[in-house]
Amino acid sequence: MSSDPNHNLEFTKLKKSPGFWKEAWGQFRQRKLAMTALLFVFILGLIAFFSPAIVGTKPVIAKYKGHIYFPAMGYFSPRWEAVFTKDKFRKRYPKALAEKDPESWAVWPLNFNDPTRRVEADEWPGRPENPQAGGPSPLNFFGTDTRGVDVFAQMVHGTRTALLVGFVSMGIAAALGITLGALAGFFGGWVDMVISRIIEVVMCIPTLVLILALIAVLESPNIWQMMAVIGITGWTGIARLTRAEFLKLKQMEYVAAAHVLGVPSLRIMYKYLLPNALAPVLVPITFGIAAAILIESGLSYLGFGAPPPNPSWGKLLRLGQSNYQNWWLILFPGLSIFVTVLAYNLIGEGLQEATDPRLREGGSRE
Amino acid sequence: MLTYIVRRIAIGAFTLLLITFLIYGLIRSMPGTPLTVDMAELDPSKQMTPERLEELAAAYGLDKPWPEAYLLWVGNVMKGDLGRSFSRKKPVAEMIGERIGPTLLLSVPSLMLTFFLSIPIGIYSAARNGKNDERVVSTGLYMLYSFPSFVAALFFQLYLAVEYEIFPLFGMVSDHYETLSTFEKVKDLAWHAFLPVTVYTYGSLAYYSRFVRANLQEVLRQDYIRTARSKGLGPIKVLWHHAFRNTLIPLVTLLGLTLPSLLSGSVIIEQIFTWPGMGRQFFLSILERDYPTVMGLTLMFAVLTLGAQLLADVLYAVVDPRIRLDSQS
Repeated sequence: MSSDPNHNLEFTKLKKSPGFWKEAWGQFRQRKLAMTALLFVFILGLIAFFSPAIVGTKPVIAKYKGHIYFPAMGYFSPRWEAVFTKDKFRKRYPKALAEKDPESWAVWPLNFNDPTRRVEADEWPGRPENPQAGGPSPLNFFGTDTRGVDVFAQMVHGTRTALLVGFVSMGIAAALGITLGALAGFFGGWVDMVISRIIEVVMCIPTLVLILALIAVLESPNIWQMMAVIGITGWTGIARLTRAEFLKLKQMEYVAAAHVLGVPSLRIMYKYLLPNALAPVLVPITFGIAAAILIESGLSYLGFGAPPPNPSWGKLLRLGQSNYQNWWLILFPGLSIFVTVLAYNLIGEGLQEATDPRLREGGSRE
Repeated sequence: MLTYIVRRIAIGAFTLLLITFLIYGLIRSMPGTPLTVDMAELDPSKQMTPERLEELAAAYGLDKPWPEAYLLWVGNVMKGDLGRSFSRKKPVAEMIGERIGPTLLLSVPSLMLTFFLSIPIGIYSAARNGKNDERVVSTGLYMLYSFPSFVAALFFQLYLAVEYEIFPLFGMVSDHYETLSTFEKVKDLAWHAFLPVTVYTYGSLAYYSRFVRANLQEVLRQDYIRTARSKGLGPIKVLWHHAFRNTLIPLVTLLGLTLPSLLSGSVIIEQIFTWPGMGRQFFLSILERDYPTVMGLTLMFAVLTLGAQLLADVLYAVVDPRIRLDSQS
C-alpha cells in the first residue's frame, strides 16, 4: 500500500468535496437576478474608475512640450495637473494646449462637460456655452443645473462617491462589528456585558441624529471623515449577529477539541470560528452597503453631504427640490439611487439564499 | 418574570445615563452655542457685545463646563423638568407635546395600513409560492422595498403635486384652515397627509409582507403541517388555523420593535414635506444648537427604544410559553 503513493494521492483527491465558499458561489451563480445585479455593480465600478475618461474637460492623454501627461487624472488628485497649473492653463485645456504648444496632441473624454463648473462658450472650438437649468439635449444628456453645470457629468463622477461611501463605510462598520461581536461572543462575562451595553447605547440613538451631531462636531468634514462617521454608526447589527454566531459556534465539539489541544484563544477565534461565522454576517454587510449609499444621499439632500468638489447624487436631488420645473434634477439621480440600492439588495438576497442551506433549492420546495 | 423585568429596567436606566451623557457631550462639542447661532441669522449690525454674550451665557448656564451642566440637567430631569428651549422660548415638554400629534397623524395610519395589507399579501404569496401571479406580486414588492422613501417622496412631489397638482406640495394644513368647518378640516388634513403616509407605508408594507411570507414558508415545512394535510384538512384551514398562528410570534416581536418609530418620525421625510413633526424638530434643534430640546428628544427616543425592546421580549414570552425569561442570563 505504501509502495504506491500515487494511488493514495488519487484517493484523497476523490474524497475532497467542494469547499463552502465554492459551493456558495456555485449556488449564487445560478441566480440570474443576483448575477445581473453583481454585473451591474461591476459596471458601476468601471464607470466610477473611468469617470474622467467618460466625461470631463481634461484630456485623458496629452503630449505637451515633448512629454506625455494624463491630466484627466486630476479629477482624482490635482498632482496630475501640476505642469498645466504652472503653465497657467486655468483648467481650460483645448485652446491653451494649441496656443502654448502647437505640436501637442490630446485624447479627449467621450463627452466634453465638467462635473464641477459650467462649460463656457467656445471653450471647445465651436461649442456653445451650457444653458442654465437647461433640459436634456444632445449637448447635456441629462440637462444642466441652475449654475449651468452638466447633470450627466455630475452623475458619472458621483458614481465614485456612491461606491466609495458604500464600500468604505461598510468596511469600517464590518471591521468594528465583527471584532466587537466576536470578542463579546467568545469571551462572554464582563467583556460581553460592556460590549452589549455599547451596542445598546448606539442602537438607542436615532442614526441620522448621531451622524448629524458627529458631522457638526467635525465642522465641514471631508469625504473620508463622512464615510468614517457613517461607518461608526452602522456596525451594531453586524456586531449582534457576529456575537450570536460566536455564542452558538463556541459550544461546538471541534472548538472544545481545539481548546483541549492547547490552541490559543485568538487563533481559535480567527481560524476556527470566524470562517464559519462569516457567511451569515456577509448578508447584512451587503444590505448595509445599500443603506450607507442611502444615508449619504440623504445627508447630501439635507445639505450635510461631502464638501463641494465631490459631486454626489444626493446633491442633485437637493438642487431639484428647490426647482421643481427642472424635473431632470430629480428623475435621473433618483432612479440611479434606486437601481443601485436594488442591485445591492438583490446581491444580499442571493448571498442569503446561497449561503443558507435551508433556503436552497430542494430544501425550500416541499 | 418580575425579577427579570426589574433587572432589565435597572440595566436600562444605566444605559439611559450613558446615552444622555454621550449625546450631551457631543452636542456641547458642536461649534457655536444657541446664542451665537441665533445671532448669525440676524443682521450683523445687531451683533451682541462679548459682555452681553457672557451675561446671557451665565443666565442660561452655558458658561459651566459641560459635565457640570450635564449633572444639573440630570437633576432637573429627575424632578420632571426637561428645561426650556433656547430658540422657541417654551418648555421642552410642551414643545414635544405639540410635535407628537403631527407625527402620530402620519405614523399610526401608516402602521395600521401596513398590518392590514401585509398579512393578507404575505399569506397569499406563501400559499401561491412559485406560481406566476405570486412572482409578479413578489417582484413588485421587492422593487418597492428597494425604492428609497425620500426619492419616492421627491418623485411624488414632482409628478402628483407640481405636475398634476392633485396633492399639496408640503405643509400639514391649507392657509385658510382656520375658516373651515370641522368636516372640511379633517378632509384638509387627510389631503395633506396622503403623500407622506403613502411614502411611509409602501416600504414597510413590502418588508412586512416578505417577513410574513418567509415565516409562513418556514412553518409550512414543519411535520405537523404535513400531518394536518394528510388528515384531509382543506388548504385554507391548514394555512389559517395551523400555520399562520405560529407566525404570529415573530410578528409580535417585530411590532414591539416598531413602536419607537411611531413617535420618532423621519427626519428626511418630514423635512421634504415640511411636516411639523418630531423628526423635523430634531433636525432643526441640532441646527439651532438648542441643547435642552435635543436632550429632551434624545431621552424620549432612548426610553421608547429600550421600553420597546423590553416589551418585545416580554410579549415574546407571553405568546410563546416555551420561553422562560427568568432562566435567561
